[in-house]
Amino acid sequence: MIEIKNLTKYYGRKSLGLYDINFNIEGGQIIGIFGQNGSGKTTLLKSIMGLCELNSGTVFIDGKPAKEQYERLSFITEEGSFFPWMTPEEYGEFLSEFFDRFDQAKYHKLLDFFRIDSKAKIRTMSKGQKAKVETAAGFSKGADIILMDEPFSGKDMVTRKEFLKLINTSLRTDETILIATHLVDEIENMLDRAIILKYGRIAGDFYMDEIRQQGISLAEKYLEAGGYESERFNELLNI
Amino acid sequence: MIDFSKLKFNNKEPIYQQIVDFVKREIIKKNAVDGDELPSRRELAFILDINPNTVQKAYKQMEDEGFIKTGNNVRSVIQINDEIYAKIENELTVSLVQDFIQSAKESALSYERVITLLSRMWDEDKV
Repeated sequence: MIEIKNLTKYYGRKSLGLYDINFNIEGGQIIGIFGQNGSGKTTLLKSIMGLCELNSGTVFIDGKPAKEQYERLSFITEEGSFFPWMTPEEYGEFLSEFFDRFDQAKYHKLLDFFRIDSKAKIRTMSKGQKAKVETAAGFSKGADIILMDEPFSGKDMVTRKEFLKLINTSLRTDETILIATHLVDEIENMLDRAIILKYGRIAGDFYMDEIRQQGISLAEKYLEAGGYESERFNELLNI
Repeated sequence: MIDFSKLKFNNKEPIYQQIVDFVKREIIKKNAVDGDELPSRRELAFILDINPNTVQKAYKQMEDEGFIKTGNNVRSVIQINDEIYAKIENELTVSLVQDFIQSAKESALSYERVITLLSRMWDEDKV
Protein backbone atom coordinates (compact mmCIF):
# COMPACT_ATOMS: atom_id res chain seq x y z
CA MET A 1 0.00 0.00 0.00
CA ILE A 2 1.13 3.55 -0.77
CA GLU A 3 0.36 6.00 2.03
CA ILE A 4 0.61 9.72 1.37
CA LYS A 5 0.29 11.96 4.42
CA ASN A 6 0.20 15.77 4.61
CA LEU A 7 2.33 16.07 1.50
CA THR A 8 3.27 19.65 0.67
CA LYS A 9 5.74 20.72 -1.94
CA TYR A 10 6.69 24.23 -3.02
CA TYR A 11 9.05 25.12 -5.82
CA GLY A 12 11.17 28.03 -4.67
CA ARG A 13 9.49 30.07 -1.98
CA LYS A 14 6.07 30.71 -3.39
CA SER A 15 5.28 28.49 -6.33
CA LEU A 16 2.95 25.74 -5.12
CA GLY A 17 3.45 22.17 -6.31
CA LEU A 18 1.18 20.27 -3.94
CA TYR A 19 -0.61 21.32 -0.76
CA ASP A 20 -1.52 18.98 2.11
CA ILE A 21 -2.24 15.89 0.02
CA ASN A 22 -3.54 12.82 1.83
CA PHE A 23 -4.58 9.51 0.33
CA ASN A 24 -3.83 5.80 0.30
CA ILE A 25 -3.52 3.44 -2.63
CA GLU A 26 -4.22 -0.24 -2.21
CA GLY A 27 -1.94 -2.61 -4.12
CA GLY A 28 -3.07 -3.87 -7.52
CA GLN A 29 -5.14 -0.84 -8.53
CA ILE A 30 -4.91 1.16 -11.74
CA ILE A 31 -5.35 4.82 -10.93
CA GLY A 32 -5.66 7.83 -13.21
CA ILE A 33 -4.28 11.15 -12.00
CA PHE A 34 -6.02 13.98 -13.86
CA GLY A 35 -5.72 17.73 -13.86
CA GLN A 36 -4.75 20.62 -16.05
CA ASN A 37 -1.15 21.52 -16.74
CA GLY A 38 0.40 22.82 -13.56
CA SER A 39 -2.12 21.11 -11.26
CA GLY A 40 0.57 18.98 -9.63
CA LYS A 41 0.35 15.64 -11.47
CA THR A 42 4.07 15.30 -12.20
CA THR A 43 5.03 16.59 -8.74
CA LEU A 44 2.81 13.92 -7.19
CA LEU A 45 4.45 11.12 -9.20
CA LYS A 46 7.95 12.45 -8.43
CA SER A 47 7.09 12.64 -4.73
CA ILE A 48 5.98 9.01 -4.72
CA MET A 49 9.20 8.06 -6.52
CA GLY A 50 11.18 9.94 -3.87
CA LEU A 51 12.61 12.24 -6.54
CA CYS A 52 11.83 15.55 -4.87
CA GLU A 53 12.51 17.12 -1.51
CA LEU A 54 9.20 17.60 0.28
CA ASN A 55 8.45 20.71 2.33
CA SER A 56 6.38 18.54 4.64
CA GLY A 57 4.64 15.20 4.81
CA THR A 58 5.59 11.63 4.07
CA VAL A 59 5.18 9.00 1.37
CA PHE A 60 5.46 5.42 2.55
CA ILE A 61 5.26 2.25 0.51
CA ASP A 62 4.33 -0.70 2.68
CA GLY A 63 5.59 1.28 5.64
CA LYS A 64 8.97 2.29 4.21
CA PRO A 65 10.20 5.30 2.18
CA ALA A 66 10.55 4.89 -1.58
CA LYS A 67 14.29 5.55 -1.42
CA GLU A 68 14.85 2.30 0.48
CA GLN A 69 13.06 0.19 -2.13
CA TYR A 70 13.72 1.89 -5.41
CA GLU A 71 13.73 -1.46 -7.26
CA ARG A 72 10.02 -1.81 -6.60
CA LEU A 73 9.20 1.35 -8.54
CA SER A 74 9.32 2.19 -12.19
CA PHE A 75 8.86 5.71 -13.57
CA ILE A 76 7.97 6.10 -17.22
CA THR A 77 8.28 9.75 -18.10
CA GLU A 78 8.10 11.98 -21.12
CA GLU A 79 11.60 13.28 -20.51
CA GLY A 80 13.04 9.76 -20.49
CA SER A 81 15.34 8.25 -17.91
CA PHE A 82 17.77 6.69 -20.41
CA PHE A 83 21.23 7.95 -21.30
CA PRO A 84 21.15 9.42 -24.82
CA TRP A 85 24.69 8.29 -25.68
CA MET A 86 23.81 4.64 -25.13
CA THR A 87 22.12 2.25 -27.52
CA PRO A 88 18.97 0.48 -26.24
CA GLU A 89 21.06 -2.68 -25.93
CA GLU A 90 23.67 -0.94 -23.76
CA TYR A 91 20.92 0.69 -21.71
CA GLY A 92 19.40 -2.75 -21.07
CA GLU A 93 22.76 -4.07 -19.86
CA PHE A 94 23.13 -1.03 -17.62
CA LEU A 95 19.68 -1.58 -16.13
CA SER A 96 20.18 -5.27 -15.52
CA GLU A 97 23.35 -4.50 -13.55
CA PHE A 98 21.40 -2.04 -11.45
CA PHE A 99 18.15 -3.91 -10.95
CA ASP A 100 18.18 -7.59 -10.02
CA ARG A 101 14.69 -8.06 -11.34
CA PHE A 102 15.29 -6.43 -14.73
CA ASP A 103 13.95 -8.79 -17.41
CA GLN A 104 16.27 -8.63 -20.46
CA ALA A 105 14.16 -11.05 -22.51
CA LYS A 106 11.01 -9.01 -21.97
CA TYR A 107 12.88 -5.76 -22.71
CA HIS A 108 14.14 -7.04 -26.07
CA LYS A 109 10.77 -8.52 -26.91
CA LEU A 110 9.18 -5.10 -26.36
CA LEU A 111 11.90 -3.31 -28.38
CA ASP A 112 11.27 -5.75 -31.25
CA PHE A 113 7.53 -5.20 -30.95
CA PHE A 114 8.11 -1.43 -31.24
CA ARG A 115 10.50 -2.04 -34.16
CA ILE A 116 13.34 -0.25 -32.36
CA ASP A 117 16.89 -0.79 -33.60
CA SER A 118 18.62 -1.90 -30.41
CA LYS A 119 22.05 -1.00 -31.82
CA ALA A 120 21.32 2.65 -32.70
CA LYS A 121 22.27 5.47 -30.33
CA ILE A 122 19.20 6.64 -28.45
CA ARG A 123 20.03 10.31 -29.10
CA THR A 124 19.62 9.78 -32.85
CA MET A 125 16.05 8.57 -32.40
CA SER A 126 12.77 10.46 -32.87
CA LYS A 127 10.74 11.60 -29.88
CA GLY A 128 8.31 8.71 -30.40
CA GLN A 129 11.08 6.12 -30.61
CA LYS A 130 12.68 7.45 -27.43
CA ALA A 131 9.32 7.14 -25.67
CA LYS A 132 9.16 3.52 -26.80
CA VAL A 133 12.62 2.74 -25.40
CA GLU A 134 11.54 4.40 -22.15
CA THR A 135 8.35 2.34 -22.06
CA ALA A 136 10.07 -0.96 -22.86
CA ALA A 137 12.60 -0.33 -20.09
CA GLY A 138 9.94 0.79 -17.61
CA PHE A 139 7.83 -2.32 -18.10
CA SER A 140 10.83 -4.66 -17.87
CA LYS A 141 12.17 -3.46 -14.56
CA GLY A 142 10.15 -6.02 -12.63
CA ALA A 143 8.64 -3.24 -10.53
CA ASP A 144 5.35 -3.72 -8.75
CA ILE A 145 4.54 -0.01 -8.74
CA ILE A 146 4.58 1.64 -12.16
CA LEU A 147 4.17 5.39 -12.52
CA MET A 148 3.52 6.90 -15.95
CA ASP A 149 3.65 10.58 -16.74
CA GLU A 150 1.63 11.59 -19.81
CA PRO A 151 2.20 8.29 -21.65
CA PHE A 152 -0.12 9.36 -24.45
CA SER A 153 1.40 12.72 -25.22
CA GLY A 154 2.72 13.01 -28.74
CA LYS A 155 1.16 9.71 -29.72
CA ASP A 156 -1.42 9.41 -32.49
CA MET A 157 -4.67 7.52 -32.02
CA VAL A 158 -3.38 4.20 -33.32
CA THR A 159 -0.34 4.39 -31.09
CA ARG A 160 -2.49 5.29 -28.09
CA LYS A 161 -4.63 2.21 -28.75
CA GLU A 162 -1.49 0.07 -29.12
CA PHE A 163 -0.21 1.50 -25.89
CA LEU A 164 -3.31 0.39 -23.99
CA LYS A 165 -2.95 -3.10 -25.43
CA LEU A 166 0.67 -3.04 -24.39
CA ILE A 167 -0.15 -2.10 -20.81
CA ASN A 168 -2.55 -5.02 -20.72
CA THR A 169 -0.11 -7.57 -22.13
CA SER A 170 2.82 -6.40 -20.03
CA LEU A 171 1.14 -6.56 -16.68
CA ARG A 172 1.13 -9.44 -14.27
CA THR A 173 -2.16 -7.97 -12.89
CA ASP A 174 -0.89 -7.47 -9.36
CA GLU A 175 1.02 -4.26 -10.10
CA THR A 176 -0.13 -0.90 -8.86
CA ILE A 177 -0.24 1.61 -11.70
CA LEU A 178 -0.57 5.37 -11.59
CA ILE A 179 -1.10 7.17 -14.87
CA ALA A 180 -0.97 10.96 -14.97
CA THR A 181 -2.68 12.36 -18.04
CA HIS A 182 -5.19 14.92 -19.18
CA LEU A 183 -6.68 12.58 -21.78
CA VAL A 184 -9.78 11.15 -20.15
CA ASP A 185 -11.34 9.18 -23.00
CA GLU A 186 -8.29 7.07 -23.78
CA ILE A 187 -7.84 5.68 -20.36
CA GLU A 188 -11.11 5.74 -18.45
CA ASN A 189 -12.11 2.13 -19.14
CA MET A 190 -8.79 0.94 -17.76
CA LEU A 191 -9.14 2.62 -14.39
CA ASP A 192 -10.23 1.40 -11.00
CA ARG A 193 -10.05 4.87 -9.55
CA ALA A 194 -9.51 8.49 -10.57
CA ILE A 195 -7.90 11.33 -8.64
CA ILE A 196 -8.35 14.87 -9.93
CA LEU A 197 -5.89 17.59 -8.94
CA LYS A 198 -6.51 21.31 -9.11
CA TYR A 199 -4.01 23.99 -8.05
CA GLY A 200 -1.99 21.38 -6.13
CA ARG A 201 -4.97 20.08 -4.16
CA ILE A 202 -7.20 17.04 -4.53
CA ALA A 203 -10.43 18.18 -6.19
CA GLY A 204 -11.88 14.71 -6.71
CA ASP A 205 -11.10 11.14 -5.70
CA PHE A 206 -13.48 8.35 -6.62
CA TYR A 207 -13.89 4.81 -7.87
CA MET A 208 -15.07 4.49 -11.46
CA ASP A 209 -17.75 1.93 -10.63
CA GLU A 210 -19.21 4.26 -8.00
CA ILE A 211 -19.62 7.30 -10.23
CA ARG A 212 -21.01 5.20 -13.07
CA GLN A 213 -23.45 3.57 -10.71
CA GLN A 214 -24.81 7.11 -10.33
CA GLY A 215 -24.83 7.54 -14.10
CA ILE A 216 -21.99 10.08 -14.12
CA SER A 217 -19.12 9.85 -16.59
CA LEU A 218 -15.52 10.63 -15.74
CA ALA A 219 -15.51 13.53 -18.21
CA GLU A 220 -18.43 15.14 -16.34
CA LYS A 221 -16.70 14.63 -12.99
CA TYR A 222 -13.50 16.08 -14.40
CA LEU A 223 -15.26 19.22 -15.64
CA GLU A 224 -17.09 19.60 -12.34
CA ALA A 225 -14.04 19.05 -10.13
CA GLY A 226 -11.82 21.07 -12.44
CA GLY A 227 -14.08 24.05 -11.83
CA TYR A 228 -15.37 24.53 -15.34
CA GLU A 229 -17.85 27.40 -15.15
CA SER A 230 -20.20 27.48 -18.09
CA GLU A 231 -21.74 30.79 -16.90
CA ARG A 232 -18.48 32.61 -17.59
CA PHE A 233 -19.12 32.17 -21.28
CA ASN A 234 -22.36 34.11 -20.98
CA GLU A 235 -20.34 37.29 -20.63
CA LEU A 236 -18.64 36.55 -23.94
CA LEU A 237 -21.95 35.75 -25.62
CA ASN A 238 -23.39 39.10 -24.56
CA ILE A 239 -20.65 41.12 -26.23
CA MET B 1 -16.01 -19.14 -27.52
CA ILE B 2 -18.23 -16.16 -26.85
CA ASP B 3 -17.45 -13.28 -29.19
CA PHE B 4 -17.04 -10.04 -27.25
CA SER B 5 -16.04 -7.92 -30.24
CA LYS B 6 -19.63 -6.64 -30.56
CA LEU B 7 -19.58 -5.19 -27.06
CA LYS B 8 -19.34 -1.39 -27.16
CA PHE B 9 -19.12 0.38 -23.84
CA ASN B 10 -21.10 3.41 -22.78
CA ASN B 11 -19.51 5.70 -20.19
CA LYS B 12 -22.49 5.83 -17.84
CA GLU B 13 -22.61 2.31 -16.40
CA PRO B 14 -19.91 0.35 -14.59
CA ILE B 15 -17.87 -1.65 -17.09
CA TYR B 16 -18.28 -4.92 -15.20
CA GLN B 17 -22.07 -4.45 -15.28
CA GLN B 18 -21.99 -3.91 -19.04
CA ILE B 19 -20.06 -7.17 -19.48
CA VAL B 20 -22.56 -9.09 -17.35
CA ASP B 21 -25.51 -7.60 -19.29
CA PHE B 22 -23.83 -8.36 -22.62
CA VAL B 23 -23.43 -12.04 -21.73
CA LYS B 24 -27.05 -12.17 -20.57
CA ARG B 25 -28.24 -10.74 -23.91
CA GLU B 26 -26.08 -13.23 -25.78
CA ILE B 27 -27.71 -16.02 -23.78
CA ILE B 28 -31.22 -14.76 -24.57
CA LYS B 29 -30.32 -14.44 -28.27
CA LYS B 30 -28.94 -18.01 -28.10
CA ASN B 31 -25.56 -16.76 -29.29
CA ALA B 32 -24.24 -18.20 -26.04
CA VAL B 33 -25.42 -21.64 -24.99
CA ASP B 34 -24.72 -24.05 -22.17
CA GLY B 35 -21.10 -25.18 -22.23
CA ASP B 36 -19.74 -22.26 -24.32
CA GLU B 37 -16.34 -21.01 -23.19
CA LEU B 38 -15.52 -17.46 -22.14
CA PRO B 39 -12.10 -15.94 -22.77
CA SER B 40 -9.68 -16.01 -19.85
CA ARG B 41 -9.62 -12.89 -17.70
CA ARG B 42 -6.41 -11.61 -19.24
CA GLU B 43 -7.62 -12.35 -22.77
CA LEU B 44 -10.82 -10.43 -22.23
CA ALA B 45 -8.98 -7.48 -20.67
CA PHE B 46 -6.80 -7.40 -23.77
CA ILE B 47 -9.72 -7.72 -26.23
CA LEU B 48 -11.73 -4.94 -24.61
CA ASP B 49 -8.85 -2.66 -23.51
CA ILE B 50 -9.96 -2.75 -19.92
CA ASN B 51 -8.52 -3.47 -16.53
CA PRO B 52 -8.13 -7.18 -15.56
CA ASN B 53 -9.58 -6.33 -12.13
CA THR B 54 -12.79 -5.28 -13.88
CA VAL B 55 -13.02 -8.56 -15.80
CA GLN B 56 -12.51 -10.41 -12.54
CA LYS B 57 -15.38 -8.46 -11.00
CA ALA B 58 -17.69 -9.27 -13.94
CA TYR B 59 -16.84 -12.99 -13.83
CA LYS B 60 -17.37 -13.06 -10.08
CA GLN B 61 -20.83 -11.53 -10.50
CA MET B 62 -21.76 -14.00 -13.25
CA GLU B 63 -20.61 -16.86 -11.03
CA ASP B 64 -22.67 -15.48 -8.13
CA GLU B 65 -25.72 -15.17 -10.37
CA GLY B 66 -25.14 -18.77 -11.38
CA PHE B 67 -24.82 -18.66 -15.16
CA ILE B 68 -21.09 -19.23 -15.55
CA LYS B 69 -18.91 -21.83 -13.91
CA THR B 70 -15.17 -21.68 -13.32
CA GLY B 71 -13.07 -24.75 -12.60
CA ASN B 72 -9.40 -24.94 -11.72
CA ASN B 73 -7.02 -23.79 -14.45
CA VAL B 74 -9.67 -23.97 -17.15
CA ARG B 75 -11.70 -21.33 -18.92
CA SER B 76 -15.03 -20.30 -17.44
CA VAL B 77 -18.03 -21.77 -19.24
CA ILE B 78 -21.67 -20.81 -19.60
CA GLN B 79 -23.88 -22.91 -17.40
CA ILE B 80 -27.61 -22.51 -17.90
CA ASN B 81 -30.76 -24.53 -17.42
CA ASP B 82 -34.39 -23.62 -18.11
CA GLU B 83 -34.80 -21.99 -14.73
CA ILE B 84 -31.78 -19.66 -15.09
CA TYR B 85 -32.70 -18.88 -18.69
CA ALA B 86 -36.23 -17.89 -17.62
CA LYS B 87 -34.84 -15.74 -14.82
CA ILE B 88 -32.47 -13.86 -17.15
CA GLU B 89 -35.16 -13.42 -19.77
CA ASN B 90 -37.59 -12.04 -17.23
CA GLU B 91 -34.95 -9.67 -15.87
CA LEU B 92 -34.00 -8.33 -19.30
CA THR B 93 -37.62 -7.93 -20.34
CA VAL B 94 -38.50 -6.04 -17.20
CA SER B 95 -35.52 -3.70 -17.58
CA LEU B 96 -36.34 -3.13 -21.26
CA VAL B 97 -39.89 -2.13 -20.40
CA GLN B 98 -38.71 0.01 -17.48
CA ASP B 99 -36.37 1.92 -19.80
CA PHE B 100 -39.19 2.37 -22.30
CA ILE B 101 -41.59 3.68 -19.66
CA GLN B 102 -38.97 6.10 -18.41
CA SER B 103 -38.30 7.57 -21.87
CA ALA B 104 -42.03 7.74 -22.54
CA LYS B 105 -42.54 9.69 -19.32
CA GLU B 106 -39.64 11.97 -20.14
CA SER B 107 -41.37 12.74 -23.43
CA ALA B 108 -44.56 13.53 -21.46
CA LEU B 109 -46.51 10.71 -23.13
CA SER B 110 -49.70 9.59 -21.39
CA TYR B 111 -50.40 5.94 -20.57
CA GLU B 112 -53.41 6.01 -22.91
CA ARG B 113 -51.40 7.43 -25.80
CA VAL B 114 -48.67 4.79 -25.36
CA ILE B 115 -51.21 1.96 -25.27
CA THR B 116 -53.00 3.31 -28.34
CA LEU B 117 -49.76 3.60 -30.26
CA LEU B 118 -48.58 0.18 -29.10
CA SER B 119 -51.80 -1.53 -30.16
CA ARG B 120 -51.77 0.18 -33.54
CA MET B 121 -48.07 -0.26 -34.30
CA TRP B 122 -47.44 -3.70 -32.82
CA ASP B 123 -48.22 -5.61 -36.02
CA GLU B 124 -46.74 -3.08 -38.41
CA ASP B 125 -43.61 -4.34 -40.10
CA LYS B 126 -41.70 -1.11 -40.20
CA VAL B 127 -41.20 -0.34 -36.56
